[in-house]
Amino acid sequence: MVLRRKLAIVDLSKEKVTVQDVPNSLRKALFGGRGMNVYYLYKMLGDNVDPLSPDNILIFGTGLMTGTLAPCSGRFNTTSKSPESGFLADTNCGGYFAPELKYAGFERLIIKGKAKKPVILHVTDNNIEIKDAKDYWGQTTNEAQKRIRQDLGPVEMVLCGPAGENLVRFACVRTGVKNAGGRTGLGCVMGSKNLKAVAAYGTQGLQVAHPDRMIQKVEELKNYLMSSKITPILGSVGTLLLYEVSNAFGGIRTKNSTLNAWRDDHNAAFAEPFIEKMIACQACPVHCRHRNVFGGEGPEYTTLVLLGANIGMEKYEEIIKLGNLVNDLGLDVSSTGTYLAWAIDLYQQGKLDKKLTDGEELRWGDYEQAVRIINKIARREGFGNILAEGNRAAAKLGDPNKDYLIAVKDIPQSDPHDVRYMKAFALGIATASRGADHLRSRPTLEIFFKLPLEVKERIYGKGVTADPTSYDGKALVVTWSERIFATIDCLEMCKFICHGFNSPHFVDYSWMKELVYCVTGWEMSEAEVSEVGRRTVDLERLFNFKQGMTEAHDTLPRRYFDDPSPLRAARGHHIDRQKFAKMKAEFYALHGWTEDGRVPEERRMELEAIQ
Amino acid sequence: MKYLYTYPEKCTGCKLCALACSLKHFGECNPKMGAINIVRDEFERYEIQFVCLQCDDAECVRVCTKKALRKEGNVVIRDEKKCIRCRMCVVACPYAGVHSFKGKIIKCDTCGGDPLCVKFCSTGALKWEEESMEITERRKRLASALLKR
Ligand code: SF4
Ligand code: SF4
Ligand code: SF4
Repeated sequence: MVLRRKLAIVDLSKEKVTVQDVPNSLRKALFGGRGMNVYYLYKMLGDNVDPLSPDNILIFGTGLMTGTLAPCSGRFNTTSKSPESGFLADTNCGGYFAPELKYAGFERLIIKGKAKKPVILHVTDNNIEIKDAKDYWGQTTNEAQKRIRQDLGPVEMVLCGPAGENLVRFACVRTGVKNAGGRTGLGCVMGSKNLKAVAAYGTQGLQVAHPDRMIQKVEELKNYLMSSKITPILGSVGTLLLYEVSNAFGGIRTKNSTLNAWRDDHNAAFAEPFIEKMIACQACPVHCRHRNVFGGEGPEYTTLVLLGANIGMEKYEEIIKLGNLVNDLGLDVSSTGTYLAWAIDLYQQGKLDKKLTDGEELRWGDYEQAVRIINKIARREGFGNILAEGNRAAAKLGDPNKDYLIAVKDIPQSDPHDVRYMKAFALGIATASRGADHLRSRPTLEIFFKLPLEVKERIYGKGVTADPTSYDGKALVVTWSERIFATIDCLEMCKFICHGFNSPHFVDYSWMKELVYCVTGWEMSEAEVSEVGRRTVDLERLFNFKQGMTEAHDTLPRRYFDDPSPLRAARGHHIDRQKFAKMKAEFYALHGWTEDGRVPEERRMELEAIQ
Repeated sequence: MKYLYTYPEKCTGCKLCALACSLKHFGECNPKMGAINIVRDEFERYEIQFVCLQCDDAECVRVCTKKALRKEGNVVIRDEKKCIRCRMCVVACPYAGVHSFKGKIIKCDTCGGDPLCVKFCSTGALKWEEESMEITERRKRLASALLKR
C-alpha cells in the first residue's frame, strides 16, 4: 500500500538506522514531498545549527503520487538548512530514484550526523545498509553512478559529485545524467556528511485504493495533456521553448544583467542538430529531456542562458558542453552561471585583481576559460576556491555589499528571466522561500501576452491585469501560483503539467483531488487539497524566520531596482521601490501574514499541532 | 493478424506502459511486474521495450512440460492452473519475452486483443498493428533513410 511506506532515520555518526510508521493524519495534512520535508526539518533541526555541521539534517522525501501511475510522478524533494544561504535548502527533482526508494518500502529518509569516512547508503526491500564509499569518492556523478551499478546491480541513485565532496556551497544533488536537486547547496550538505550516494532497488509495488478507476482516469488525463498545443512542443524542445519568447521582449539575463537580450540564433530550433533523442522521467508522457550528442543531457533553458548569454557565450555547442561539465561535476547550473558572470563583470569593472584569478583576465564568452574555472571551483583550486564560497566571496571579489550579484537571500537567481519588465516575476523571486527562485511561483502565463484577460481572471481571480509591466494584481497571481505549485510538489508530480505553469489548462485542484482519491481513497474537496499547499508555504516561512530571516530579505538584486533594462521592449523598465513595497504588502496580506511578513502566532500553533 | 510492435527508437523510458500493465494485472503500480518491461540505461544511452512476440512456433510452448502454454489465434496463452512455475519458458524464450518476478510468471496476453500499454504510450513507441502494416511502415522508413544518403 502507498500508505504503508516508512520513514527511515539514519544517524551516520552512530551508524544506526531507525524505521518508523508515518501517521496518515500527517499525510493528509501535507501529502508528502516538499511539505512533509519542511515539516520534519522545522520540527527536528535545532537552533543556530551550522549547515555544514553534523547537527544539520538532510531529508530525501517522496510524495503521495511518487511511483504510481499518476503522470510525471517520478519526483522527490531534498531538504535541509542551506550552506549557501543559511535559510531553507529545498529542491525538487525527477528521474527514477524516487519511485525506486518507494518500491524498497521507504517514503522518506532523514539523515543525521556525519560518517567517519565516506559512505553510501544501500537501500533494498525494507533494509538500509551503510557501506564504504572509498571506491566512489572523488568520482564525477556519471563515473560514480556507473561504478555503483557495476557493484550493486540495477540501483537508482541520488549522489553528490566532486563539488559536493569538496564542500562547494552551491553543489547539487544529482540522479542520473542530468536530473538535479540543483538549488541551495544540498550536494554540499551530502559532502559535509561524508555521504556520497543513496542507492535504491525495491521490488514492492504500490497498491492503490481504486486501481480500475486510476487506470481509467490517468488514461483520460494523459490524453487531455497530450491534446494540448503546448505538450508536443515541450516534448520536442523542452524548456528551451521559453528562450525565443523572452528574448524577443528583452527578458534574458545577459552578461550579469548589464544587458537583457542575446542572440536570436539561440532559439530552440538551433539546438536540434545537437539533440539525439528526447527522453522522460518515470511515468512522464511529456518527455522534455534532451539527450545531447556530446555525451550528456540538456541543455535546459537555464543552462542555455546562465551558461550562455549570462557569461557571453556565443556558440550553442559550447554552451551544451559547459552544461555537461557542470552536471558531471555536481555543480548547480544557475548558481555557477550567476557567480561566473558576477566575477567577469567585477573584473571588467576593475574591482577584481588579477592576483586573485590565478593570472586570468576574466572575459565574456571565453569557453576555455570557463571550463578551467568551473573545474577549479569543483576541486576548490586557486581562484576556484574563492568562487566555491559563492556569495560569501563578495568582499574578496571587491563587491562587499553584493551590489552586482543577481541573488535574493544569498541564493543566485535560478531563472534566466530578467525580471525588470515582468513585475509578477519580480515579486515571485523576491518572496520565494529559497532565494531568487522562479519555481516556487513563476506565473509563466504572464509571458503569454495574448492571453485574454477573462482567461487570467478565471484562473487567478478578479483584480488581475493583462499588462505584465503593471504592478496591479500581481500579488494575486503570485500567491495563487505559489500555492498550487506547492501542492503539486507535495504530491511530487512535475510542475510542467501543473495548471498555470505552462498552460492555462492541465492538472488543477480537481484533477489532484481525483488522483488522491484513486491512490488513497480519501475524499477531499478542492479547497482541502489547496490547503496542503498553503500549509507548506507557511511552514517554510516559519522555518526561515526561525533561522533569522526578516521582511527585509524579501527584496531584489540592486540592479533590478536601479539600472533600467537597456534593450528591446523592456528598455527603460526597472522595478520601482515604492511600487514594489506596495505589491509586497498586498502579497503578505493575501497570505494572512503580518505587515512585517510573519506567520501569525495562531497559525504557527495550528501548524505546529499537525502530527 | 494484429500484433504488438515496439519501436525502441521512440521509447523515452517512461515506463507508463509497464505501470499500467502491472496495475491492471496485479493491482499494483510496479514497473518490474509489467508483462512489458523497459530496460533503460541513461549512461549507456538506450531505452528498449521487452515484451512477448507471440511466436507462431514458440519455444516457450515447446518446452512447457505441463502444456500450460498454447497458441490461440495471435496470442500465446498461459494457463495459470496448469502452470507449475518451473520457469522453463523464461529460460527458453530467446527474446526475453516472458519473465518471472516474486514467484509469478509474467507474460503478455495482449489484454485480450485490446492492449492497455499502447494507450499509455505517448510517443508511438508501442503499436497494435496488422503485421502487413508494420512491415510497410518499416520499409518506408528504410527507403527514406536510403534516399537521404
Ligand atoms: S514468451 Fe518468448 S517464445 Fe513464447 S511466444 Fe513469447 S516471445 Fe515467443
Ligand atoms: S498488451 Fe496488455 S498484457 Fe501485454 S504488455 Fe501490454 S498491457 Fe501488458
Ligand atoms: S510508454 Fe512508450 S515511451 Fe514509455 S516506456 Fe513504454 S514504450 Fe517507452
